[in-house]
Amino acid sequence: MSDGVRRALAGLITVVLATIVVVGVAVGDTTPQDRVQALGSRIKCPVCQGEAIADSPSETATAMMEVVGEQVDQGRADDEILEYFRVRYGDGILLDPPFRGRTLLLWLLPVAAVGVGVIMILGRRQSIAGPEAATTQPEEPA
Amino acid sequence: MTALLGYLGIMLAMASAFVLALLGMQGVYNPERISRRYLDRAVWGLMAGAGLAMFALEIGLVLDDFSVAYIADHSATTTPFIYKLATGWAALEGSIVLWGLVLAGFTLSVYLRYRRSDEADPLWIGALGVLGLISLFFFGLMATVSNPFQVCVEAASVGCLETSSLPWASAMAPLEGPGPNPLLQNHPLMAVHPPLLYIGYVGMSVPFAFAISALLRGESGDAWLRRTRSWTLVAWSFLTAGIVIGGLWSYEVLGWGGYWAWDPVENASFMPWLVATAFIHSAVVQQRRGMLQAWNFILVIATFSLTILGTFLTRSGIIASVHSFTQSPIGPVLLWFLMVVLVGSLSLFATRVHLVASSPRLNSLASREGVFLFNNLLLTVFAFVVLTGTLYPMFAEAITGSQLGVGRPFFDRLAIPISFALLLAMGLGPITPYRQARASVVWERIRTPLRVALAAGAGTVLLGYRTGYLVLGMMAGTLVISMIVRHLLVTAARAAAKAGIPVWRSLGRVMRSDPGFWGGQIAHVGVAVLAIGIAISANQGVEAQVVLEPGQTVEFAGRELTYVEDFSRVEPNRSVVGARIEVREGSSVVAVLEPRLNTYARSNQPVATPSVDTSLRGDLYLSLTGIGGGRVSLDVFWFPFVWLIWFGGLTAAAGGVFARVVRKPVRTSVVAGEVPENV
Repeated sequence: MSDGVRRALAGLITVVLATIVVVGVAVGDTTPQDRVQALGSRIKCPVCQGEAIADSPSETATAMMEVVGEQVDQGRADDEILEYFRVRYGDGILLDPPFRGRTLLLWLLPVAAVGVGVIMILGRRQSIAGPEAATTQPEEPA
Repeated sequence: MTALLGYLGIMLAMASAFVLALLGMQGVYNPERISRRYLDRAVWGLMAGAGLAMFALEIGLVLDDFSVAYIADHSATTTPFIYKLATGWAALEGSIVLWGLVLAGFTLSVYLRYRRSDEADPLWIGALGVLGLISLFFFGLMATVSNPFQVCVEAASVGCLETSSLPWASAMAPLEGPGPNPLLQNHPLMAVHPPLLYIGYVGMSVPFAFAISALLRGESGDAWLRRTRSWTLVAWSFLTAGIVIGGLWSYEVLGWGGYWAWDPVENASFMPWLVATAFIHSAVVQQRRGMLQAWNFILVIATFSLTILGTFLTRSGIIASVHSFTQSPIGPVLLWFLMVVLVGSLSLFATRVHLVASSPRLNSLASREGVFLFNNLLLTVFAFVVLTGTLYPMFAEAITGSQLGVGRPFFDRLAIPISFALLLAMGLGPITPYRQARASVVWERIRTPLRVALAAGAGTVLLGYRTGYLVLGMMAGTLVISMIVRHLLVTAARAAAKAGIPVWRSLGRVMRSDPGFWGGQIAHVGVAVLAIGIAISANQGVEAQVVLEPGQTVEFAGRELTYVEDFSRVEPNRSVVGARIEVREGSSVVAVLEPRLNTYARSNQPVATPSVDTSLRGDLYLSLTGIGGGRVSLDVFWFPFVWLIWFGGLTAAAGGVFARVVRKPVRTSVVAGEVPENV
């Protein structure tokens, strides 16, 4: 095999592998059961200590999981189901704080932290325009 | 007697800590003026006092000396021996005693390490002084608001009714105590997890002490970093192992099949871990390139403060969790201490910041330093996210008065992308040259691992697992591991060719030649394995709830589970009821599992003890939720490859130990001249 053929073959294999991954994941396989689990992990078990109803073996949690299951079967949307529980149990029932109102800041703070960090790093980067940059050391042996 | 002995220990430790703090604060400026003899006595006095206090508590527990209120309230004559020992740190006051003992141990090890140096060593003396101050605080707690040696002056029928702080008060000991919290005497890992975690937590005091000492002296440079490197690594390894073992405990005991719940106290141990990890990395940058000097001070102050915050969260009773101790007046005191530490060390830092401004700048973002900066950004933002998510509900509730839920989905949503980015940095960092990395060099090193990762991803998809996170997790984990393996093989092959020895023989030699770097790579492989384990078990776990009658069989995850019979027995400290479940695969019985409900004396709430059949392919996990009326109800889980999580986590801890323990060999002619790829 010549060098060119080998390289082409390697490239081809890479492309095939990448296609399998992308297509496979994109097609996905979410079942209704997955949805029930996902929703259950976003609702707090009211009688437990900080556990989601999907994780708790308690009777209350099991009953609530059944309600989630029924509503998923009825074809209700995620938001509707979460709203159903929020209306009955209050804001504290949702483990997943919404992006509004009292919890807006909770989501914004991490974003702000990333922003500050990036600015700090870029600040270091720019200062190489100074005289030090001229003496950039030669590439080290790799 | 026990109380008096223990209290004497606390007093001795407190007095010694006071002297140590005085000597240190004087010696940090005038090291010649202080007496080495007094320094020696202060350190040994601290150690002896702390040891005496712990010893007295343990002896009292073993001998059932219920005249000590702590023992009367947290132990029982029927408590098994190992849990009697563990009770020494399983409740609030005792946990502080263990804390003090570990702190004294670290102080002693710092002392012994540099004791022999003849010249005056103000940085070291100052660090001992800071450790003395911290010790003074903790032993002060024991002497006042968190006294483990209160005497029981009026006995209840079980436990103690009224206590006295005077250790010589005439005692009236109850005949029996209630025993430890059921959850804490249900699994032997409970004896292991807290000490590991405490060694990790408290060990972070050493770099903090040296940093403060350096700031007091106005010393810039990396002396404090170099000299605390081994303690930081040891503390980090223990913290890692402690967190992993804690996850294992939760998995084996709590019966919900999980190992991590973003519980505030889990977060409390995870935050210092994240910041300490950032610190270990940025310390490398300072030592190699002189950058990030100020940042390293910030990180080490943050790590120490977060350990105090963790102590506060666990012990103030402001959060409800499996970890929280009972309500006590210790909370406000810890909060004040945290404030003093933060305000004190940050203002000290502010007055010295002009001395530590870093000199060399970043040449290019595409360099090892660049990846390190990225890593530090990710780790600190991660810690910040966890901090926000943990404290936000408390503040919101305090201000608005209504409850607010911040749970797993919030943390997962932010932690997962950050973790993927971290894995990427973990793969890229070690193969990226310092100063300026040419794209062609990086591409050359990344090409093959990238294909391996793609193959792993494609393989996962072809096996039928198409959940996005699982495939991505497999790929990211494989990428990290294959990059490190490639790097090791290439470096070893090069060294082998030069030395004329077979490649396999040069592998160990290469790793020993740079233990810091390769210890780090071992830790990276561990974290990658852990990530793969989490991705698999979180996405491919199966759960079912079943109710069975004797003889009845149910099919689950390719196995047949048959309820054979129930059983019950009475043990000294508890009564046990359980179900015997036979597990068949095909025609052969592969396991007999016995999930149980344990009911401890003087506790009406039974504790479910899951039964787990672990194999290389995964865990079959049975948790009993109810038994009676001829039927048994079970929560049944199948988690594939869970062992990867424990194995990966402990490998990460082992990497830290490798970096600490393995000594760089004196260069011989064989390895000399070898140019490692990791420069």
